Amino acid sequence: MRTLLHYVRLYVLIATQYVKARMQYRADFWISSVGMVFTSIATVFVFWVLFHSIPDLAGWSFDEILFIYAFYLLSVVPLQLFFDNIWQLRFHVVEGSFIKYYLRPINMMFYYMSDMVDLKGWVQLALGVFMLIYASQRLGLTWNLWRLGVLGMALFSSSLVAISILTIAACATFWIVGSFPVMDLALKIRDFSPYPMTIFDGFFRFLFTYLIPIGFVAFYPSQFFLRPEQVPLLTYFSPLMGIGSFALAYFVWTKGVNSYTGTGS
Amino acid sequence: MNDTVVHVDHLSKHFRILNRREGLGGAIRDLFSADYKTVRAVDDISFDIQAGEIVGYIGPNGAGKSTTIKMMTGVLKPSDGTLLVSGNEPYANRRRNAQTMGVVFGQRTQLWWDLPVIESFRILKEIYRVDDATYEKHLGMFNELVDLKALYSQPVRKLSLGQRMLCDITASFLHNPRIVFLDEPSIGLDVSVKSKIRSVIRELNRAQRTTIILTTHDLGDVEALCRRIIIIDKGKIIYDGPIGKVTALFGAYRTLKVQIHNYKEGTSDQLEAALGARFGGDAAIAVEHTETGWTDVTVNQDQVPLFDVLRFVMETLPIKDVRIVEISMENVVQQIYDGALK
Amino acid sequence: MKSYFALVRGSFMAIMMYRLSFFFTVIGNLLYIVLLYFLWSSIYRGVETIRGMSFNQAFVYVALAGSIFTMVKTWADWEISWHITSGSIIMDLVKPLDFQFYFLSQTVGFMAFNFIMIALPSALVLLLFFGADVEMGVGLLFLPAGLILAFLISFAIDYIIGLTSFYTESIWGISMTKEIITTLLSGALVPLQFFPDAAQRILRLLPFQAIYHIPLTMLTAPNLDVRACLGLLGTQVVWVVLLFLAGRLLFTRASRVLMVSGG
Repeated sequence: MRTLLHYVRLYVLIATQYVKARMQYRADFWISSVGMVFTSIATVFVFWVLFHSIPDLAGWSFDEILFIYAFYLLSVVPLQLFFDNIWQLRFHVVEGSFIKYYLRPINMMFYYMSDMVDLKGWVQLALGVFMLIYASQRLGLTWNLWRLGVLGMALFSSSLVAISILTIAACATFWIVGSFPVMDLALKIRDFSPYPMTIFDGFFRFLFTYLIPIGFVAFYPSQFFLRPEQVPLLTYFSPLMGIGSFALAYFVWTKGVNSYTGTGS
Repeated sequence: MNDTVVHVDHLSKHFRILNRREGLGGAIRDLFSADYKTVRAVDDISFDIQAGEIVGYIGPNGAGKSTTIKMMTGVLKPSDGTLLVSGNEPYANRRRNAQTMGVVFGQRTQLWWDLPVIESFRILKEIYRVDDATYEKHLGMFNELVDLKALYSQPVRKLSLGQRMLCDITASFLHNPRIVFLDEPSIGLDVSVKSKIRSVIRELNRAQRTTIILTTHDLGDVEALCRRIIIIDKGKIIYDGPIGKVTALFGAYRTLKVQIHNYKEGTSDQLEAALGARFGGDAAIAVEHTETGWTDVTVNQDQVPLFDVLRFVMETLPIKDVRIVEISMENVVQQIYDGALK
Repeated sequence: MKSYFALVRGSFMAIMMYRLSFFFTVIGNLLYIVLLYFLWSSIYRGVETIRGMSFNQAFVYVALAGSIFTMVKTWADWEISWHITSGSIIMDLVKPLDFQFYFLSQTVGFMAFNFIMIALPSALVLLLFFGADVEMGVGLLFLPAGLILAFLISFAIDYIIGLTSFYTESIWGISMTKEIITTLLSGALVPLQFFPDAAQRILRLLPFQAIYHIPLTMLTAPNLDVRACLGLLGTQVVWVVLLFLAGRLLFTRASRVLMVSGG
């Protein structure tokens, strides 16, 4: 408990300083936010174009897809805000600057991730909330305290899955020279997580449910709200999936950190 | 209480490295290659370091210095042998070890790049759980040594290299570590800043009897700070002892760099033979032609007056340019191999 | 010319050094095709044609758009930005090479590599294992030229984006915005035919469709004649010339900023 408190205090200390320092580059903040808006609505735009020509996608209406996508946006917010330094990992490892993260008496993953807070995450948060409300209204969904609680729980689990997939992919850099394609692959796969998993069959449905569980980033958990009468049993395992995949990601991270030899002599 | 801070016993570190082939075809074949070789970066070394010592840990590039430091700081796992730092196995107890040590890498800062200096210190205080009294006391001490106050509000990225180095060094002493590793602390700095840094290091060492291990290319650093040096080359320790003997060695040697007009293959051998005939044939003079076009004539001044050699060379060969330099790390190592310390 | 060739060869070699990374690139692109197959199968569930395109046409279109993406993605914007913000641009400027062509030749190596190792194999996989068909018409003859011009347009845009780093540090935001606009409005994600008619009319006036839609039209549109193909190439050439000139103009202006402020 004392340790947890120590880490919370430390994170708040570093993060507030970091935000203060970044705010000196105000133009960058706004331009990056605009970039994030475009990135976040790209998929919706694709759906919007598609639904001009088709009535539904594998039985899902545009509003339902919008709801799933909003859920997806919200579940990647923690990844964007607190784990964005994961994208720098391969540079640190290749250039040898990763070594500095070994030298402090605190958890390495914590220390590493605390080095960056990606402020663009607020865009996804805002857009996610907005789209969720909009889609709920169109679908006639009502929210109460209980449902909000379930939403919070579901988002917590989903965000862990999203964090884990990218973390594991980024860790490839500890073993592979030029690990960008691995990261790129993970991102390409993750980009499919707002799609209904029912478009896949057999092997790929299995793959995205159990092995690379992108189904748990948005699709399965949002069934609680979209079609509560036919929630698959599997969906109740979301929290387990979240915690399990994060444990695995942490294990891979630890393995990678231990196999790092640094560059130079 | 045992006063040994670092205990190294038959320590080794091996790496497996892929043998790369040359050219475009080689690169393609490398895609499927499994041809590895083992490199012994550190090969069976042993030494002990006591509390309060400043030890120079030196050697040429690729000698195994960094590998040793990385093992002592808990980054790398030793392949073989025993390594204890403040009684801990660094790799097995990384966090406990980190609490009792400080590290500075010359080329890259460990402070927070975008933050003002004082904020980095505050974060470090929190990371190491330094209590308020100790923190204030240390900041006061640092202020006396270096005028840190003037730098407090500056972001680290705006500091000059020298200022940054001073901040990095003092920061590494903030949590009262038992041992501090300084890797190339004076690299790229001009003479006045170098001497400032050396005096700060000396003071910090004295204040808390902190053990310091210094790795450097700069023999001046070693001369100014260390009483003991350990020289490593090709993974093995080739000298461990008082600095006096080594200073005498590189103090007496000078390298005469000459550019010879119309240099041809073999000219340097002829020159060495001629010098041997004129001044006597032992190890007092060595001639080597370098890739940069300069010919190095290394002279032991205890045996042969440098200017006699210079005059002789200028009379024998058409010389375009001359420089006199202190002996380099590589030369010191070569001299030790040649038996200069025996 | 020889020095530019050395740069091309160097960048090609650099990629070959990365062993496993290459396998992952291949796997990534194959998987991407599979995912697209599932997506478009479900879009076409129960219908023969949408907006005049058969499933086969639409699938080939978007899958090969993925291959084109790997070819025309030059990263030149990031590269140039990095050179500018790190100050190493000074070293580029003292080289006796034209700045624009210097970066172009550095990216040509990547493009050639990605074409041979990724785009071509992906296309073959598509034809052999997914039973997809391309139009065996005159379009194929014009395709190589169409692809090269597409690459040049993409580079010219990236070059201009990279130069904005002279004025602002936020290359991420600008580059992402460009990236999204380019892929959304070019047919890289959805065939241009799927857009509402009014939108299509506007998109055809923009340079982005010349990167994806034009080469993909050569591959998928039935009954293309030589005149139509020449028209398509002509559109691309116009964009190459305009965008290259715009890049050069911007560089002249921007480097003046550098001279004055000292970087």
